[in-house]
Amino acid sequence: MTPAFRAVVRKEIRQITRDPRMIPMLVVAPVLQLIVFGYAVNFEVNRIDTVVCDGDRTERSRAIVRSLEADGTFRDIGPARDCGRIEDEVVGGRAQAAVLVPRGLSRDLAAGRPAEVQVLVDGSNPTVGRFAAVAASGAVELQGMKVLRERLERLRGLQGAEVALPALQPEPRLFYNPQMKSPLFMVPGVAAMLLLIVTTIATAMGLARERELGTLEQVMVTPVRPFELILGKVTPFVAVGLLDVLATLTVGAWVFDVPIRGSLWLLALGTLLYVFSTVGLGLFISTVSRTQQQAFMGGFLTMMPAMLLSGVITPVENMPSWLQPLAWINPVKYYVEVLRGILLKAADLRDLWLPLAALFVFGALILVLAVARFRKRLA
Amino acid sequence: MGEVVEPGVVLLAEGLEHSFGAVRALAGLSFRVAAGELYGLIGADGAGKTTALRILAGLMRPGRGTARIAGKDPADARSGVRELLGYMPQRYSLYGDLSVGENLRFFAELFCLDRRVFAERSERLLGITRLARFIDRPAEKLSGGMYKKLALACALLHRPEVLLLDEPTNGVDPVSRLDLWELLYGFVAEGMSVVVSTPYMDEAERCHRVGLLHGGRLLLEGAPERLVGGFEGVVLRVTGDLEKVERQLEGAGVIAVAPLGGSLRVVVGAEAAGPVEAELRGLGAEVERLRPNFEDLFLARAGGEGLPFDRAQGVRAEGAEEQRAQRGEG
Repeated sequence: MTPAFRAVVRKEIRQITRDPRMIPMLVVAPVLQLIVFGYAVNFEVNRIDTVVCDGDRTERSRAIVRSLEADGTFRDIGPARDCGRIEDEVVGGRAQAAVLVPRGLSRDLAAGRPAEVQVLVDGSNPTVGRFAAVAASGAVELQGMKVLRERLERLRGLQGAEVALPALQPEPRLFYNPQMKSPLFMVPGVAAMLLLIVTTIATAMGLARERELGTLEQVMVTPVRPFELILGKVTPFVAVGLLDVLATLTVGAWVFDVPIRGSLWLLALGTLLYVFSTVGLGLFISTVSRTQQQAFMGGFLTMMPAMLLSGVITPVENMPSWLQPLAWINPVKYYVEVLRGILLKAADLRDLWLPLAALFVFGALILVLAVARFRKRLA
Repeated sequence: MGEVVEPGVVLLAEGLEHSFGAVRALAGLSFRVAAGELYGLIGADGAGKTTALRILAGLMRPGRGTARIAGKDPADARSGVRELLGYMPQRYSLYGDLSVGENLRFFAELFCLDRRVFAERSERLLGITRLARFIDRPAEKLSGGMYKKLALACALLHRPEVLLLDEPTNGVDPVSRLDLWELLYGFVAEGMSVVVSTPYMDEAERCHRVGLLHGGRLLLEGAPERLVGGFEGVVLRVTGDLEKVERQLEGAGVIAVAPLGGSLRVVVGAEAAGPVEAELRGLGAEVERLRPNFEDLFLARAGGEGLPFDRAQGVRAEGAEEQRAQRGEG
């Protein structure tokens, strides 16, 4: 805590509080992000607009349609206009799914012939398509089992023998997030993202700004050392970033019921290591940009792939194998692992030593590289 | 390093060379400045002034050569050289969103001045720069002259022994310009060494000693009055049919031609002066001899270096040197 460091911190805080754009960026944006990601990014799919064409109009066909609509995945928006061209409803965009129960279905079933219920699904959004397909086959299969049971019971009645109906059913049990709520998955990701935005972009732009405006030149002829200047400049933003994380987790706990099951100390350690990486990244970006605009673009272009390749939204393990190495050098991935581990699984140091070590290594490397480049550009 | 430092020399540049890519900014610049001396580094834009001052301020290392401030390497931050140096860049370099007082305080803190010393010095500097009234005004709201004075004050808070000023009078109105020079005389009288770079030849006469910088090295060096006194050329004011006159002047012996009101100012080599005068009178032009000034000297010397006249006449390639410096940084 040298006097020069304190002077830089004070100056930086003064400039932040004086800049009308800074407060919205540092406070409003995080809250907005949390709400957007918490509410809007929802991986559960339900209420798919569905048209139904019941060509059979029997007790059986109505039971099938009812069973399709029972779990809320499909929402009946009325009968199809033309059963012969039911696919037009999906192609034309009136419905996302269409159900066609063919005429003579119950007669075929009664006679022991196979019968089909057609479910057309708009697969342009794969998530919606997958959910619809799974829900439809589940519902129809259930009806199929019913048909089978009725038939077996009839046979038993005829022969007077006991007919057992063996049923093999999977019984999935979900750990950590049994209701499969998206926010539990997303809030840690949002926290990691906010910290990345606030610290990386602020560091990159802050130093680029001093260079662009010429103030760096005046500062560097004073006895201040480069690390005092850099630390002094990033300290306020690191503080803001940590507050943002705290706020995110608090709001996450209150609004979205995101638990904090593990150790807060471990959380703090992981966050600190992560901040070293994000600040180092920002510093590095500032050494390759000449203007604030370049620094912003550089920060943005780094952040986008860092977010997408982090497992915040889709698991890294599901990415193509040639893309995965990029995720291994991504600090966001490791921090999200740490956060989810601590928040949802009550993971401890034994579980998390690998991502923590990865964060440490990445942070140390990028900081050393960036400070070396920073010095070289001054010299 | 075992170098012999001459007594009294506080600033030394020895064979400084530096290139930005293919552009050669300094080509063997050498000069030294004594304690209490006001030294002018004079040259057109692109001559290498900014590069030289940035090297002396320790902001960059020269490709070749030696820079010393009080015997210390200015690029070596640990040598304590920063405390001896004050530097005012040509570009705006203060925090525009901070007030006059906040800027002063910030730089004082970077130099680790204690509160009492800061209060004393800032009061004195604000007094002599007449900025005290504007202490709460953001630096970006100051006029060009006031801004330069504030930058000067920021560079002086720690009482440097050597003050480097890169074009301090550039973009400053004539009254503030005089103010600035008066301030500098005051500091020099107290024993400070000051190096001022300027593209304005008329400011040369304000310095104890000047170096004419051209193409990255000194063409001439000495006390301004001695240099002008030793000028061997002849300066003519020519009035008449200027088109004819100019055609005539394309001949040998003419060093420089520049417009002077409705006339031409013509610099001619000593031997050619008689014949040229006779030819011009032959065209019916009025010819009058003028007292040479610094610019004539510069034009004569720069012209001898094969420099095209229009360049030498100081057509300002705005910020050319600075752009080069930036390109070189990347």
